[in-house]
Amino acid sequence: MPKSRRFFSAQNRRELLLPALFIAPALAVLLALSIYPLIYSVTVSLQQETPGGTVWSFGNFARLVSDSFFLTAMAHTFVYAAAALTCEFLLGLGLALLLNSQIRGRGVFRASLLVPMMLPAVVAGVVWRLMLNPNFGAINGTLKRFGVNTESLTWTASPKLAMLSVIAVDVWQWTPFVFLVLLAGLQAIPQEPYEAALIDGSSRWQTFWHVTLPLLKPSILIVLLLRTMDLLRVFDQIFILTEGGPGFATETISLYIYRTAFRFFDFGYAAAMSFVLLALTNVISAIYIKFLQAKEVS
Amino acid sequence: MRLTISLALLLLVGFSSCTRNQQPPKQQLTIAVVSGVEGEALKQAALDCEAETGIHIDVVAFPYANLFEKELIDLKARTGAYDLIMLDDPWFPRFASEQLLTELTPWLQKRRGPIPLGGVDFLDSSLSLCRHPYQTGALYALPYVGNSQLFFYRKDLFEKHSLKAPETWNDVLAAAKTIYEKESTGANGGRIYGYVMRAAQGNAAVADFMPIFWAFGGEMFDPDGKPMVNKPEGIAALEFMIELGKYSPPGYASFNADDVGAHLLQGTAAMSINWPAWISSFSDPAKSKVIGKMEFTTMPSGKNFGSPEIGNWLIAVPRDSRNTQLAVDFLLWATTDEQMKKSAERGNPPTRDSVFRDPELVAKNPSYPVQLRSLESSRPRPRTPYWNEIENAFGIFISKANSGTLSPAEAMNQANAEIEKILQRAK
Repeated sequence: MPKSRRFFSAQNRRELLLPALFIAPALAVLLALSIYPLIYSVTVSLQQETPGGTVWSFGNFARLVSDSFFLTAMAHTFVYAAAALTCEFLLGLGLALLLNSQIRGRGVFRASLLVPMMLPAVVAGVVWRLMLNPNFGAINGTLKRFGVNTESLTWTASPKLAMLSVIAVDVWQWTPFVFLVLLAGLQAIPQEPYEAALIDGSSRWQTFWHVTLPLLKPSILIVLLLRTMDLLRVFDQIFILTEGGPGFATETISLYIYRTAFRFFDFGYAAAMSFVLLALTNVISAIYIKFLQAKEVS
Repeated sequence: MRLTISLALLLLVGFSSCTRNQQPPKQQLTIAVVSGVEGEALKQAALDCEAETGIHIDVVAFPYANLFEKELIDLKARTGAYDLIMLDDPWFPRFASEQLLTELTPWLQKRRGPIPLGGVDFLDSSLSLCRHPYQTGALYALPYVGNSQLFFYRKDLFEKHSLKAPETWNDVLAAAKTIYEKESTGANGGRIYGYVMRAAQGNAAVADFMPIFWAFGGEMFDPDGKPMVNKPEGIAALEFMIELGKYSPPGYASFNADDVGAHLLQGTAAMSINWPAWISSFSDPAKSKVIGKMEFTTMPSGKNFGSPEIGNWLIAVPRDSRNTQLAVDFLLWATTDEQMKKSAERGNPPTRDSVFRDPELVAKNPSYPVQLRSLESSRPRPRTPYWNEIENAFGIFISKANSGTLSPAEAMNQANAEIEKILQRAK
């Protein structure tokens, strides 16, 4: 019997059928929920609605370049992400190192540090919105008690302080996550390299720089990657805290995409902006992975 | 322009749709309403109708922030899921221009011969919103809730400092200054601000700016539909708004309705433009520290006579409704004066002259005469399908000017350019 015939033999077919059956549901779900919407959004981004009907063009992408709202929102997003990421990483690393050592009551510290992370972003947003209220809020109320003149401290209403305020809220909420991942990473480092470093007579700083940090690299990669992706698409807290204001001071790209899609009903342009955000997020992730993994190998 | 005959006719027919309509109970309607007092009233009406006639009515409520997108997505997809929808009036041009709504007149005529709907006692300013094009075109909806902005001020403070009731914007500015200066150690150890407004970007800033803008002689569009917000009148109006801002609580550039409400209820601000929905809270001891002290009046004037923004809730029948006749019948019934009185008792200002003048209602709502006058002198937001986008852009620049990042002239120039871009794209 020729080989090809044997391949399609009844027995073989049965053997193929079973795995195919097992894979089919997952494949169907993936197709319906992931691949189809992706292709659909590509087609939407290439369509423009005109009074004469729907036109296929790159017009939505061309419009991005001349749209000052889009460019400003993009810039805000990167300022926001860079500032929040730096603070969260440094604070999270510091806390992880601190609570990795044997200090009294560290269990209580650890547990209490996790509370902000447990709150939904919307709840955190509302709580901070109330606390930051310039007239009735807890923060200005406390400052006033200490004799600080709060007249100019309008937080989310001030074009200068609004961005700082929304960054601070993100740092407050997400530093615990960075801390948690890095702490897990620290605890997974075996004792031997430290003992070797001790015998070699390295200082605490040298130990940190040459032993702890390289061994922590996988955890750092994960936490930076996850936080960056989250920060670039930030929506809920800012939507609650400032709705992008005052003026346009804290409008991030996700807010602008949301408005374009669901307020102005321009899905094509919103899809185009989403793809640009997706591309940028991918590029940044690729850089992280390359940078942090290459060194690990060497 | 109000013909009592047609009112009587409508009443009669309205009655019949819900009392005489003894069709099989299989009939069904689905209504999309806004969550909150406006939608609740319609929901109660639907329950009454259901109890009387056996017509099954599903009421689906959405928060204000989601209602527009839900309705527009559904109507564009032509699913016919809703037989009636509640619309905030600025959304109406978008729905009507995309031909998503049922033109009502043919259905009304089909029911019972010619009906001069222009003449029933619906207020002109409300009914005009339901026509596309505005005021002159075909009828695609009926007005259900008749809101228009009012001017709120603290009459006790005005009496204390012997200020005259605010009739012009200059009166307002002078009073704001006096109160700000003389009440520097007022309630809770803090000062009482002369004025309070919303200048958060988007709808809030635009709504609190438009009455000033119009009073100063500003217009958003010239007769050819080109934007003209950066004319001297517009810039002067924005300068004036910022001047008023000096006597407003710090941070007003990010205020929304709840911030303004809080200041007024706590007695920390003396004047404001606001919507009638807030009136009842001022006499609620659980919320208000200023019971009996707040006065409500019509919009102050400037170069032009004062006009508030109108903000009505309309009810329309989607083009793809599967029960158009039944939906139209329900719509007529729900907007009869009898039903509208019930809606008013549930907290919604009516859109009918006769209901505004109903002695029982006036006794319970002493501000009804003022609300009626205000509604009659109100102006709609510009009737364009792109209003959401235009309002967003305009609001961003008003907010920027109020938070000090742009000068009024720069803000208006940039706003004008941005609005022009939006209209250009639409061409």
